Amino acid sequence: MAVFMDLNLSSSSSVRSLIESAAQLGFSTVAINYVFEPSKKKQEIPTPTPITELMDQLPVVQGRSRPIRVLNRLTVVMSDSSHFRPNAAEYRSFDLLAVQPTTEKLFHAACLLYDVDIICILVTEKLPFFFKRAPVSGAVDRGVVFEVSYSAAIRDSTMRRYTIANAVCLMESCKGRNVILSSAAEKALELRGPYDVTNLGLLFGLSDKDSKEAVSSTCRSVLLHAETRKTASGIIYTMKSCSDSCDQQEAPPQSEHCEAPAAKKHKTAPADS
Amino acid sequence: MVRVKRRYLLCEVNVSKRSDLLQLDDRAVAAAVRAAVALTHGDYGAAHCLVGFSVKYLNAHTGMVFLRFPKRCYKLLWSALPFITSIEARGQKIPCFLNCVHVGGTIRTCQKFLIRYNTQQLHRMLPKCKDEEEKQQVREAILQCSLPGGKKEAFEDELESEEDEEK
Repeated sequence: MAVFMDLNLSSSSSVRSLIESAAQLGFSTVAINYVFEPSKKKQEIPTPTPITELMDQLPVVQGRSRPIRVLNRLTVVMSDSSHFRPNAAEYRSFDLLAVQPTTEKLFHAACLLYDVDIICILVTEKLPFFFKRAPVSGAVDRGVVFEVSYSAAIRDSTMRRYTIANAVCLMESCKGRNVILSSAAEKALELRGPYDVTNLGLLFGLSDKDSKEAVSSTCRSVLLHAETRKTASGIIYTMKSCSDSCDQQEAPPQSEHCEAPAAKKHKTAPADS
Repeated sequence: MVRVKRRYLLCEVNVSKRSDLLQLDDRAVAAAVRAAVALTHGDYGAAHCLVGFSVKYLNAHTGMVFLRFPKRCYKLLWSALPFITSIEARGQKIPCFLNCVHVGGTIRTCQKFLIRYNTQQLHRMLPKCKDEEEKQQVREAILQCSLPGGKKEAFEDELESEEDEEK
């Protein structure tokens, strides 16, 4: 059985009830989304609230015995190329990094150049540009995924039209590969169960298989892609070590041996799905 | 013998306040589904809803609903279900959403699944119990969950005890 994920829950005041509801519905991994809009004046990059502060005990996932896994995600809404600063230190505290380009030029750059995991597709208005085949297939090759969120479609009939129109437009050029479906829910009642979301994918022009992958295995490859982004292409990983472990002299050569096969695993994992 | 091919969707009605569930009845659920289908798929969807669609069973205590669709168009009709945001029952609008947990070909497989699902819910409830007496009640309810033999009674018992726990 597949593990279901929802990589977009809004970071509002009701995030606790959102997480509880997601666990009840059977999502094993969720990501809390922090939106950063540089075009608005005086906005700073938000800092994520640690999960341990948010909830002292994570709820157990429906049908499984493990507690739900909660990640943090940053979405940068771009209207100018200066808005995305690669390698900014603030981005490091987030597990996932997404961009939402608003012009065709930025979309092109986001697909081919930027070091991100997710490209959000606008769902609240009609797209001002078409998706061209070249950047989209470039993004698919790099392992970057496109995200379509469905909660705007649930709220309003006009939004539903835009969501479906933009999603179908995207599916024409990417043929259902590297697409994830997420909720972007602000209230617990805007979440939908994983099987319903899978079926909703049919409305967005996905095939049966692709829409199932859009809530399970593609999401997993996003997580792996995010891990390789943090490390140097999945080969070397640095972390703070406590002073006790410095005494052991044997540690460095051992770790070198271990890293080699792991690097291969990381590199191939996002690309093949 | 050839039977008419149908699909039964086992859905869970999720509400924010559990007491609202008791106000539901099958006609309200059916009307909400019809309205959602008409909104998303227009006259074409509404026409498919006219023949072969019905609400077979509704448990107002646990919020479980069996929806019956003709097999040829159940995916089309199912894709309208996520757009339900409220059900109007007894003059009140209850904000809710339907979560499909199982799709079955016969009503019997759905019943089997429902019993297993409810047992799972009881297991989930067990750690949340406050005192020993409640725990004992839930344990007994779990032991009673079984299909063969007096399946109807077991079914009813289990649902009643679950309802006790939630008060």
